[in-house]
Amino acid sequence: MATRLYLSNDTSARAAGADQLAEAWSLDPEIQMTRTSSRGALFLEPLVERDGPNGRLLWPLATPDDLARIKAGLGGIEISEVPFLTRQQRAVFAQFGMAEPLSLGNYRATHGWRGIERAAGLSPEGIIAEMKVSGLRGRGGAAFPVWQKWDIARRTHAECKYVVANADEGDAGTYCDRMIMEGEPFRLIAGMLICAKAIGADRGYIYCRWEYPAAAATMQAAIDACERRGLLALDGKPFQLEVFRGAGSYVCGEETALLSSLEGGRGMVKVRPPYPAVAGLYGKPTIVSNVLTFATVTEIFSRGAAWHASLGTARSKGTVALQLSGRIKQPGLVEIPFGASLREVIEQFGGGMADGAQLKAVQVGGPLGSLFPASQLDIKLCYDEFHEAGAVLGHGGIVVFDHETDMVELARHYMTFTADESCGKCAPCRIGSMRGRELLERIDNGQGTAADLALIADLGDTMKATSLCAHGARGPYPVLTAIEHFGDEFQQRLQAKSGHI
Amino acid sequence: MSDARQRPSSQETARDSLPTGQRTDLTDQQQSVARVIHSWHMPSDKPNILKALLSLQEQVGYVPLESIPAIAEALGVTESDIAGVLTYYPDLHTHQRGRHLIRVCLGEACVANRAIRLLAELTDELRIGLGGTTIDGQITLERVYCLGNCGVGPTVMVDDMIYGRMTGAALRSLLKRCQSCSQGPAN
Repeated sequence: MATRLYLSNDTSARAAGADQLAEAWSLDPEIQMTRTSSRGALFLEPLVERDGPNGRLLWPLATPDDLARIKAGLGGIEISEVPFLTRQQRAVFAQFGMAEPLSLGNYRATHGWRGIERAAGLSPEGIIAEMKVSGLRGRGGAAFPVWQKWDIARRTHAECKYVVANADEGDAGTYCDRMIMEGEPFRLIAGMLICAKAIGADRGYIYCRWEYPAAAATMQAAIDACERRGLLALDGKPFQLEVFRGAGSYVCGEETALLSSLEGGRGMVKVRPPYPAVAGLYGKPTIVSNVLTFATVTEIFSRGAAWHASLGTARSKGTVALQLSGRIKQPGLVEIPFGASLREVIEQFGGGMADGAQLKAVQVGGPLGSLFPASQLDIKLCYDEFHEAGAVLGHGGIVVFDHETDMVELARHYMTFTADESCGKCAPCRIGSMRGRELLERIDNGQGTAADLALIADLGDTMKATSLCAHGARGPYPVLTAIEHFGDEFQQRLQAKSGHI
Repeated sequence: MSDARQRPSSQETARDSLPTGQRTDLTDQQQSVARVIHSWHMPSDKPNILKALLSLQEQVGYVPLESIPAIAEALGVTESDIAGVLTYYPDLHTHQRGRHLIRVCLGEACVANRAIRLLAELTDELRIGLGGTTIDGQITLERVYCLGNCGVGPTVMVDDMIYGRMTGAALRSLLKRCQSCSQGPAN
């Protein structure tokens, strides 16, 4: 009898060599290969699994030569031997690593449709009341209470309304939306359907960034599968769902820019109000929410709002999906209730620093987040504590930099990114990021002066106070926190000290 | 775009006037562009410029500047509407790029894992800068801000394939493969 092996089909598993394994073993008649979602323990990829007496047996970092060992059942470890996984409290990602992403049968068998089935029996008001109890706040970065947004859209009268999944996961260091779309696409669809029922929408879009080709293809295949089974329907009426591809613009992750792009135009930010919940796509009421938000909605209706509200801290309910990367031993996806400290996460899940590396700075919340030095890692991972510290949790990206990192070069890199990706709508961001980049280039090249450093601080304050959206308003944060915590490095690079005079 | 909604019939007129078959006075590329434009079935009230340009690029490899008037006419929008969208998005291209496309991820997670050093090795090896194409037209080098592969970075994308845990040596062998195979997807 053939042995069934499981191997992730996730982009990161493939980038780490999963396809080479599948190809090398494809001709072996004794092997039946099932491609699954990823467990998110990315430091173990490519990870080969097979069924064992106590659940799956794992062969981490497998190479083609490992086949004989795996077939003989030798050397596999149990999940209970991987603390990175056992210490997590997974809800949204509970099934990751187990099933085929596009198997509706698997999804149903693991109670994936329970959420939408429960929501189907509720009125729109009832759905929104559940959302209010759950305390869910948007997971894309803005952390706005989801029920409020839905309620505004529900109350706004219009002949058509839209539900849009923001799959423009542009924050560097984040990948949980990609994992959801590639790993459990039906979960996103179910969450969007629940939202559509609550607000009375009959059309939805998944705005997927260009950089995620596999996610877009999987979502499209999942939509097709649902359509074939008649699952894309609300109260007997069809719900039209479409994948829309972006074209490489970071600012399109901002909701008004995203909608401009979805309409086919330049991805320019618009002044709010009106908010999209009142006048969004083509001027109609539109809910734009992050992929993880919709995926969490599915779980809330499956397990109940009280379950969600029982996790986390006073004002950050539920679980947080942290995405660890950089110079640590164990990069990967960590889902735990809000409230753990940054240090605990890096040490317990990240497994500490990579060999020979010493921690220098940690960036939380993507390119619009802040840098934390080693002395400030006791901050709790929740919206409020980050807000008080002037930082953002953003989409949950945690990037660890080591002692070799040149902070001036890094600051220059950040400002180059802000300038490259500015949509150009407002002057503080368009011009400020350009001047900021020039100033940092000058300092990086050893030609800067103390006045340049002062000017960067001034420029940062202006951008923070006057930019139209978070791109300009938060763009200076990594640079300003780099200067705040690693000021000596900037001082040493200035003209007078580098001997250029 | 509001223009288009007022005169939806112009789209039909434009389509009718487009060449349906092969015309000898057009180059291959012009013929492909014409074929793609002719195949569009945009609802006349909501022409989607970005979607149209992406579909053209997918089939022709890029959006030739000369095709702007025909696209504008087909969609019932102005040429400046098209130019505006075309110049906004980093992944819409107006020129033919190299046969192979190498993109180095410069997201922070990859930067933390020395992606900038990898990029420097590449620019030295290929003797081109970011956005440049080698003199033989084989390789175009670009940067990308995050491919969502942060857990197994640094990341390099070659054509449609994403490679993780990149080292200088792995990169050089990828390069050799690119340079040795003359056949491949023309982007």
